[in-house]
Amino acid sequence: MKKNAETLPQKRHMGMSTKGKISNTLIYILLVVIVIIWIIPFVFILLESFRCETQGMAGYVVPKQWGFDNYVRLLTQTDFLKWYGNTLLIAVVTAVLQTIIVLCMSYTLSRLRFKGRRFLMNFMLVLGMFPGFLTLIVLYKVLSGMGLTGPNAVPGLILVYCASSGMGYYVSKGYFDTIPKSLDEAARMDGATRFQVFRKVIMPLAKPIVIYTILSAFMAPWGDFIFARYIAHGSSAGYNVAVGLWSWTTKTSVGTQYTMFCAGGVLVALPITILFMILQRYYVEGVTGGAVKG
Amino acid sequence: MKQLTDLEYLRLSRFGKFLYKLKRFFLHSVPQAVINFFKRLWNVIKKFGLAIKNEAVDIWTTFRDGTWQTKVSYLIMGFGSIARGQILRGILFFLFEVVFIVYMIVAGGHWLSKFGTLGSEGMHMEYDEAKDVFVQVSGDDSFKLLLYGLLTILFIIAFIYTWRLNVKQNKLLDQITRSGKKVKSGKDDLKSLLDDQFHKTMLALPLTGIIVFTVIPIIFMVLVSFTNYDAAHDGYSNLFTWVGLDNFNELLSWNSGSSNLSAAFGEILAWTLMWAFFATFTNYFLGMLVAILINKKGIKLKKIWRGFLVLTIAIPQFVSLLYVSKMFSDNGLVNGFLMDMGWITQPIPFWTDPILARFTVIIVNIWIGIPYLMLIATGILMNIPQDLYESSRIDGANVWQQYTRITLPYMLFVTGPYLLTSFIGNINNFNVIYLLTGGGPNNPKLLTSGGSAGSTDLLITWLFNITTGAESNYKLAAVIGIMIFIVIAVLSVIVYNVMPSTRNEEDFQ
Amino acid sequence: MATVKLTNVKKVYDNNVVAVHDFNLDIADKEFVVFVGPSGCGKSTTLRMIAGLEEISDGTIEIDGEVVNDLQPKDRNIAMVFQNYALYPHLTVFENMAFSLRLKHVPQEEVYERVTKAAEILGITEYLLRKPRALSGGQRQRVAIGRAMVRDSKVFLMDEPLSNLDAKLRNAMRAEIILLRQKLDTTFIYVTHDQTEAMTLGDRIVIMKDGFIQQVGTPTEVFENPKNLFVAEFIGAPKMNIMEAQLLRKGPSDYCVVVNDAVMQIDINHCSRLEANNVQSGKITLGIRPEHVTICKEKAPNNMACRLEVNEMMGSELHLHVTDVNGDKLIVRTPTVDLTPEERAGFRNGAEIYITFHGKAMYFFDPETENSLID
Repeated sequence: MKKNAETLPQKRHMGMSTKGKISNTLIYILLVVIVIIWIIPFVFILLESFRCETQGMAGYVVPKQWGFDNYVRLLTQTDFLKWYGNTLLIAVVTAVLQTIIVLCMSYTLSRLRFKGRRFLMNFMLVLGMFPGFLTLIVLYKVLSGMGLTGPNAVPGLILVYCASSGMGYYVSKGYFDTIPKSLDEAARMDGATRFQVFRKVIMPLAKPIVIYTILSAFMAPWGDFIFARYIAHGSSAGYNVAVGLWSWTTKTSVGTQYTMFCAGGVLVALPITILFMILQRYYVEGVTGGAVKG
Repeated sequence: MKQLTDLEYLRLSRFGKFLYKLKRFFLHSVPQAVINFFKRLWNVIKKFGLAIKNEAVDIWTTFRDGTWQTKVSYLIMGFGSIARGQILRGILFFLFEVVFIVYMIVAGGHWLSKFGTLGSEGMHMEYDEAKDVFVQVSGDDSFKLLLYGLLTILFIIAFIYTWRLNVKQNKLLDQITRSGKKVKSGKDDLKSLLDDQFHKTMLALPLTGIIVFTVIPIIFMVLVSFTNYDAAHDGYSNLFTWVGLDNFNELLSWNSGSSNLSAAFGEILAWTLMWAFFATFTNYFLGMLVAILINKKGIKLKKIWRGFLVLTIAIPQFVSLLYVSKMFSDNGLVNGFLMDMGWITQPIPFWTDPILARFTVIIVNIWIGIPYLMLIATGILMNIPQDLYESSRIDGANVWQQYTRITLPYMLFVTGPYLLTSFIGNINNFNVIYLLTGGGPNNPKLLTSGGSAGSTDLLITWLFNITTGAESNYKLAAVIGIMIFIVIAVLSVIVYNVMPSTRNEEDFQ
Repeated sequence: MATVKLTNVKKVYDNNVVAVHDFNLDIADKEFVVFVGPSGCGKSTTLRMIAGLEEISDGTIEIDGEVVNDLQPKDRNIAMVFQNYALYPHLTVFENMAFSLRLKHVPQEEVYERVTKAAEILGITEYLLRKPRALSGGQRQRVAIGRAMVRDSKVFLMDEPLSNLDAKLRNAMRAEIILLRQKLDTTFIYVTHDQTEAMTLGDRIVIMKDGFIQQVGTPTEVFENPKNLFVAEFIGAPKMNIMEAQLLRKGPSDYCVVVNDAVMQIDINHCSRLEANNVQSGKITLGIRPEHVTICKEKAPNNMACRLEVNEMMGSELHLHVTDVNGDKLIVRTPTVDLTPEERAGFRNGAEIYITFHGKAMYFFDPETENSLID
C-alpha cells in the first residue's frame, strides 16, 4: 500500500513540466537546508568531543588539536561509567517490566469486556491530568525511608518508572483495537480460554507493538531528567547519564568539563541511535498508529 | 441562539457561514458542553446516591432472607463460604478480617486519632531524670501521621468493600443452594481467573502499581494542599497542620497586598498556556509542511530525507537540548560565530533577555519537535485516499486549494485527539524548558516569598523549583499541581465535547 | 446431532437497547434453520447468544436438552463460521484447522486424519501449508468452514458466511454448503440478510425484524403464505408490489377488489379465508408479486392503465417498471418467449399498458396492523 502511494505517482510524472522542475529544485534546496539544520548540532557535538586544546566552551567548532583526551578522561577520571551502568541497568529492567505491565493493561482494556472497564479508562484519563512530578514528592519521602534514594537511586527509579506505567497504555491499546474481534471469538468457539486466546492468538500477532513498547521503554530512562535528579538528590553514585552530564553544564563546571560533556553525549547517543535505526520500522509504526487512534 | 436549517445555512455567504459557525460555537456548543458536563455530573451523583441506597437495601434483604450461614457471615466473614464448600474463598475472607481487626487495634486507631491534628508536639527537649540533663526527644511526625492516617482510612474502605463482597458471595451461595445447583469449587475459581475472570489476573499487577504509586500519592498531595507543610513546618522539628483553604486563597486572591504570589501565578499560567499553544501548533504545521515537502510527487530519496530527521529522535533529548542551550549562550557558538564575522559586537542575549528567551525556547522546540510530527504526518498523509486528490484536480483545484480543502481538514480530523494530548504534554514539558533555560532569566515580577520563578518557567518547572529549592514549599507545590490539573481538565472537557473524532472509541475498531 | 431450543430468549444491551424480544424456537435434530432479516434485526445477536459470545439477558437456551446459559462457548460443543472468516493470520491452513484439536490435546495422528479429511472434502488439500494471507476469498471461506468441520460439534453455526464473496463465488459456495450439509448431517443454524440464500438453503426460515420473529416456516410456506406485509415484501425477488385498494364484500365468501378503476376477481379459496377471518369491505393493502401481473391487450373493466417508465430486458424475461394513475410504482415481470416483435416494440418507455392481477396470487393486508387477512 505505502509503496504504491510513493512509486506510482513518480512514474506518472516522468515527463515533468519546467514549472514542476523549478519547484522541485526549490524543494530539494529547502530539504538540504532542513537536514543541515537538524544534523549540524550533532556533527558539532561530535567534533567538539575530540577537541584537546581547551576543555571549556570555545567560539569555534573544528578542533585545533584532535585526540581522544576527553574520552579517556571521561572513562578514567569521572563517574561516567557508573552513570552509564546505572542507566543501562534501569533501561533494561524497565524495558522488561514496563512492557509486561503495559501489555497486560492495554490488552485487557482493548479486548476483554468487563464491568467497570469504561470507569477504569475514564479514571486513568483523569489521573493522567495530574502532573506526574507531583507524586514524586511523596514517593521520595517513602523511598528514602526505604533507603532507595541518593546513592541507591537505581532500584527506586526502576520502581517509579514501572509502577505507574500501566497508565501509558494508549498506543498499544490502539494497536490491539485494530486486530479483528472475531479472531478472539473464533478461538473461544474453538475451545480456547481467554488466557489461551491471549497467548496463542493475539500475542503472536502483536510482535510490532511489543517491539515498539520495549524500544520506547528502553529509550525513556536515557533521557529522563526530572525523576532521576529528584530521586538521586545530589548523590553522584545514583545519577543516570542525563543528570550526570547535566551537572557538567552548570555555570560552575562548564568551563572545565564542557568537552567531556560532548564526549559523554556522543557515547550515550551512539548505541541508542544504532539500536533505534535497527528497530526504526516498529517505532514509526507505533508512533503513527498511536497518534491516529489517540 | 437560533439554529438555521440546512438550506438557510447554505444561502449564507462564506463569511456569513464562518460568522454563524463562530457564533454557534460560542453561544451554543460551549454553553451546551458546560451544561452537559454539569448534567452528567448531576447524573453521576444521582446514580451514586441510588447505588448506595440499593446496596443498603440489598444488604438488608440478604440478611432477612438469608440462611443461618449467611447471617453468621455478617459477623464472621467467610463463614458462609467455608460452610458451603468454598474453603479457599472463605479462608481469604476470614484472614482479611482478622488482619484488619488486629491492625486497627495495634496501630490503626492510633493513626486515626492523630489524623485530625497531625500531631501535638514535634521534636522537643525533655528532662531526663536519671542523667539530670535535657535531651532531645523526637515527638510526632506530621508527615507520617498524614500518610498512615490516609492509609488507615483507605484500609477501612477496603475492608468495607470486602465485607460487602462477602455478603454478595453469601447471597449468591444462598441462591445456588436454593436452586439446587452445585457450588463452584476453589479449583473452578482459580480456573476462571484464566478465563471469564481473566481481566482480574491481567489487571492485578498494573493496577496495584497505579494505586500505590499514583493514586495514593495524589490523594496525599491533595491533602497536603490543605496543610502548611513547607520548610518552616517540616513535620518533625516543627509540625505542620491543617489550614483549610488558606493556600488556595493565597494563590488566587487578586488583591494580594502582602504577597504577590497570585500575580506570579497569573503570569506563569499565562506564559504556560502561551507556550503550550505555540509549541503545539508551530510543531504541528511546520512538521506537516516538512512531511508534505518530502511526500511531494517527484521528490526522490524520500527515505533518506526522512531518515535524517527520524535519526534525531533517537538521540536522547537531554544531549541535544543541553548542547543547543550552550550553543546559544552568551559565549556560545552562535554568538561566537556572529562576532567573528563582525556582524554584531555584543552577544545576542538569547537566554538572558526575557522576551528573546521565550522566543528562543519556542524556536528550539520546533527543532526538537518537527521530526516527530513529520513522522506522524507522513503516516496520515499516505492514508489520505489518492482519488480525493485526483478528483480535486479534475475539479480544477490548485496545490494550495488541495492543501486547505483536503489535506488540512483530513489531518485535523484524524489528529484531533493527538493535538489535545500534545497540548497537555507541552503544558507539562519540563525537559525543554529546564534543560534550555533552567527557567531563567530571572524575572523581578516573579520573585515571591513562596518561591521565585524566571521568565520562561512553566508551572511544572516552578513546581519543581519550589520543592527542590531551599523553600521546600510543599503546600504551594500541591496547590500548583492541583491548578495544573484543573487547567488540563477544563481544556479536555471542552475539547472532548466539541471535537468530532473523540466521541466514539468503537469507531476505530 | 442435537436439538436446540430457545425459550423466551431476550437480549438487552447495556444502553438499554433491546436487540431481541422474547425469542421462541425449537430446532430439530439435523435441521437446517436460517435466520434472515435486514441488518439490525437481531438475527446475529441470537446466533451469538446460542454460541455463547453474548450473554443472555433473559430466557433459556437448551442444546440437547441441557441449559447452556451459563456455559462458556468452549463448553457448548458448537462450531461457528464467521462472516470475515476470522482465520488466525500467523498459523498455516493446517494449524488453523487443527487449532481446536490442539487445545483439546488430541493425538497428532488423529489431528492429521481429521484435518486432511476435511481438507479433502473442501478441496483445499494443496493449500494446507499456506498462510491465510496467501489465499483467495473463496479459499479462506473453505478454510473457515473446514476449521468448524474438524470438530464434530453438535451444532454448526454460520454467520453470514457468504456475504464477503463476490456474486459468482457466492452462488458456487451456496451449492457447496448444501452438499456439505448432506455430508455432515448435523444441525445447522445459518444467518443471512439475503433471502435467496435463506430460500435455497433452509429447511425452515426464521424471518426477523427489529428483534421480533415475524414468521417461521418452510421456504414454500413463507413464500406462499406470508403472515404480514414485511415477510411478503422481504421474501421474493423482485419484491412484491404493494398498493392501496378497496376490498368489496358482495356476499358471504364473495369478495372482489377495486384497484384504481379496475375491479378484479378474487380466487374462491382466498375468498373463504377472508370470510373465515371475518373481513368486511374497506380499505386494504394489496400485494401482488411481479410475476403474477398480467399485461392485457386493451382496456377492460378488470385491468388498469399504467405508464411504462423503464423497460429492463433480462433475457428470458422483461422487467417493466410502471406507474399507475396515483403515481404508485409497480414492477411487472413477463416472459419474453411468447412476445411478438410488435408487442416488444410496444413496450417503449412512456407507453400506456394495461395490467391485471392473478386472482389466486393476490395478498391482502390490514393497513393498520399489516397482518395478512388471508392467513
